Amino acid sequence: MAQLPPQTIQRDPQLFYWILFPITVVMILTGILRHYATVLMASPPKKVEQPALKEQRSLMHGVAVRSNFHVLTAPSFKARREFLTTAFESGAYLKDPERRGQPPANPMTDPGAMDGMMGMMKNNMAMMVPNTLIMSWINTFFSGFVILKLPFPITIKFKSMLQAGVATKEMDPRWMSSISWYFLCYFGLQFVFNFLLGSDNAASQMAQQMQGMAPQAPNMFGPGVDADKQFQAEAENLAVIKHYSVLDDVEQRLLEGIKTR
Amino acid sequence: MPTEREFQVAPIVPESVMHNTKALSNLQSLTASIFGVAAGILGLESYSGFLFYFIFTILTTILFYTFRVAPTSLKSGLGAFDTSRYFRTQYEFWAGGVFGGLAGYILTWTLFYGLVRA
Repeated sequence: MAQLPPQTIQRDPQLFYWILFPITVVMILTGILRHYATVLMASPPKKVEQPALKEQRSLMHGVAVRSNFHVLTAPSFKARREFLTTAFESGAYLKDPERRGQPPANPMTDPGAMDGMMGMMKNNMAMMVPNTLIMSWINTFFSGFVILKLPFPITIKFKSMLQAGVATKEMDPRWMSSISWYFLCYFGLQFVFNFLLGSDNAASQMAQQMQGMAPQAPNMFGPGVDADKQFQAEAENLAVIKHYSVLDDVEQRLLEGIKTR
Repeated sequence: MPTEREFQVAPIVPESVMHNTKALSNLQSLTASIFGVAAGILGLESYSGFLFYFIFTILTTILFYTFRVAPTSLKSGLGAFDTSRYFRTQYEFWAGGVFGGLAGYILTWTLFYGLVRA
């Protein structure tokens, strides 16, 4: 097969100043704006009523005792276990003890539940609005320009994506238009934000999408969860623990460590 | 593989592991973009560009290992190239950066290739 000579296209150097540079700067600035918008919109943690807080904290106390039992001595652990299991089983910490055994309230009617949904909505809006705006801005002002050449070959399938608005049949798919530069910036600017805003910033769309994809941890204290059932389960978990201490055989381990030294 | 009991005797602090991972990924995303600039100025195309990236990223990781991880890790009795003293998995240490920095690399590579060569 005969080797085709590489296509060369004479491009105006002004394209750099009027298309490439503005798009990049706008992408970086939008990322920074998004970061600060997310920081400002983050709602402070809501005040929780005293009985509800007692319910949450006592359940967390149970979990803490269960997961850290190995640092307690046997009598101390036993005393804690006895106290907590009886309290959990009798429902001493419940928010409203007379509602025991009834099904939990519908989360849609609970005003507390709406807050979480609003937070999600806000985050989604902060992502969607700038993206649509920038896309339409690029499409109105910069469509139809060929600005860069990719340094690696790609298949013909990408032609419609990379050269949107440039309907030239014979052109090598490696040439890309302004909208594909936007996509490259969209995916690759994470490192810029890392150094401008610190590594746990909210600027990058990619990181946010990753977060959205990750399985959400089940909300322990959310509405619609039967606290009584959680307490019963926790009491059972505590009851089945076979206690041992990290200090068992510690003298043996110490002597072994000295011997091998 | 250490048992649950051994973890309780010598616990691993998740915050410190997170900090280590973050330091490594920050370093790798910065170096990836700098490698992109270098590859673009050199005018590398297709396979040679990707090869350049992989070789230099792995080189960065090895340098990171020899200067930051190895001195204390070897002293504590772990084998060579064993990063379990500071990182959760071997895979995360050796291969995590290759994919994390790729997008930044392609961005700067394309930009500088377009400005200098094409």
